[in-house]
Amino acid sequence: MAQRLDRINRFLDGVRRNRREIISPEGIALEVDVANNGERLTAFVIDFLFWMLATGLLYFMLALLIIERVSGAVAMTIVFFIAFLLRNLYFIHFELTSQGSTPGKRIANLRVIDRGGGPLLPGAVVARNLTREVEIFLPLGLFFSLPRVASGSDFWIAAAYLGWILMISALPFFNRDHLRAGDLIAGTMVISVPRRHLLAELVETEAKYAFTRNQLEVYGAFELQVLEELLRRPASPDTSRVREQVCSRICSKIGWTDPVPPAETAEFLKAFYTAERAHLEREQLFGHFRADKTEPPAMRR
Amino acid sequence: MPKISLRSAEFRKSRETAWRTLDDLISRVESRGITQLSADELQQLPLLYRATASSLSVARSIALDRNLILYLENLVLRAFFVVYGPRVGILEALRQFLRRDFPKAVRSAIWHIALATIAVAAGVVVGIVLVASNEAWFNAFVPEALAGGRGPASTTAQLRDDEIFAPWPGFIQSFVVFANALFRNNATVGIMIFGLGIAGGVPTLLLLGYQGLMLGAFLALHYKRGLLLDFIGWISIHGVTELGSLILCGAGGLVIAEKVLFPGRYARLDNLARNGTVAAALAGGAVLMVFAAGFIEGGLRQLVSNTPARLAIGLATGVFWISYFLSNRKSTGNGATT
Repeated sequence: MAQRLDRINRFLDGVRRNRREIISPEGIALEVDVANNGERLTAFVIDFLFWMLATGLLYFMLALLIIERVSGAVAMTIVFFIAFLLRNLYFIHFELTSQGSTPGKRIANLRVIDRGGGPLLPGAVVARNLTREVEIFLPLGLFFSLPRVASGSDFWIAAAYLGWILMISALPFFNRDHLRAGDLIAGTMVISVPRRHLLAELVETEAKYAFTRNQLEVYGAFELQVLEELLRRPASPDTSRVREQVCSRICSKIGWTDPVPPAETAEFLKAFYTAERAHLEREQLFGHFRADKTEPPAMRR
Repeated sequence: MPKISLRSAEFRKSRETAWRTLDDLISRVESRGITQLSADELQQLPLLYRATASSLSVARSIALDRNLILYLENLVLRAFFVVYGPRVGILEALRQFLRRDFPKAVRSAIWHIALATIAVAAGVVVGIVLVASNEAWFNAFVPEALAGGRGPASTTAQLRDDEIFAPWPGFIQSFVVFANALFRNNATVGIMIFGLGIAGGVPTLLLLGYQGLMLGAFLALHYKRGLLLDFIGWISIHGVTELGSLILCGAGGLVIAEKVLFPGRYARLDNLARNGTVAAALAGGAVLMVFAAGFIEGGLRQLVSNTPARLAIGLATGVFWISYFLSNRKSTGNGATT
């Protein structure tokens, strides 16, 4: 049922996304868009900046409190420790309190969900974030803590850390759901949920034009929804030009002989949309869903 | 002009108020948190959610309005996150992890822990036997950086004064710098042991065995110098915690290896997801233990400088960890917490 919109969504939104179906505990099938790697990287970079900022601030506050001058190694250690605490608290806190989204994820419209459609358990949130520690941060920290010009065995150790990071960060590119290691282990998935708005109803209440059944049987649901999108476009010279083209196309296709003046194009299209939708919805109720114009119309009763 | 009435338009007109109310509630929760809602609104939320979910089912079957269906799908999904989202804060989640999930994970992975322990023990035995027969093996087992000048050439006096009963270097030096260096060293080994679990578990076992081998080499070296008990005291003060964390990392890696190698009736990934939280809990808890070990090793070891007291502390940490892992066996919550 829900897959009926896939083709039109691809056609109108242009983006081809991986979609997964999850079943909510009520038994409703919900389609979710898997977040792509670019969105996840954006979210991560934003979170990363927030985390660095917070670490820096906290360190300076501590440095002001501790009057005694501390040496470089000690300062590094304190920064390291604060950073460790902050990043774990940051991710776990936000994913728990704002329904699976950190500030970065919220900006990128991403959410963490349970892959099976169940509730997102705290255990899973803790697991996927602690795994991030093992995945990225510890090897990264160790990589940077090695001497700059590494030679001999140090070089190979650095190469091993870097290789590990690259291997793990490449994991999302190699599976359909773009899961990172933490998602695999915690049974979660990151999806994209951009906010949608309910737009005004297009259906008119009074019929200015009357169409025959033969005329309405020319099109199917796909064409109806393309027309819907055109009618919902904001008014502009470009839009009205396209509308006129579409209008003349429809007239010739359904054999509408009366001329439609350019000023009434929008009105005519709305009337046609209303009549067509009423017709197709009635047919659908009788079990004759017609996907597009290439499908044969239902048999006449 | 004739009037038109579409079922889908009528349907929308009658339900739209409820959708708008739900949308408003959800938007408020998303921007300012669930505590923003009053008691009445909280009570309304699941009802509105179910009503909207049923609206979605109806709309899918009777309406061809694409915007309407997409909006409802989106709204139900957003409401789903709020209704079934996590309801505990970070403190509660961490408390749950420490009080219930971590000990539970340790108990449920008892066979993996046993296997990891056997791997370490085998390494220790081999290390003792080989180094006791020929001290040259010591240099083969223990890398230069870890040996820190100790080796077949060390005399009894050197080992006793520079290592086992070395003076305390001061608070900053030992608690901050040294503990951090140790943390990094242990964390590296722990990561490798855990991470290599994905490679079928064999590298995990080998690495655990190697850790045992090094320990065995040190034991044999000190035995030859007549310092065995002092050395055990010196190392047990932190070694119990450290070794425990390495074994738990290994057990976590072995859990992953088992779930990937023997998926049973599930797909490999599903099986990993079903049991992965145990592995992650083991690894996460082990990271905390490594922290504790670094802290103990950096400070307490040089601060407490007689062998009986060190042995007592080592024993106490061991007893502490075991009783901690055996604690909270009864589930105190009311079913699954969401």
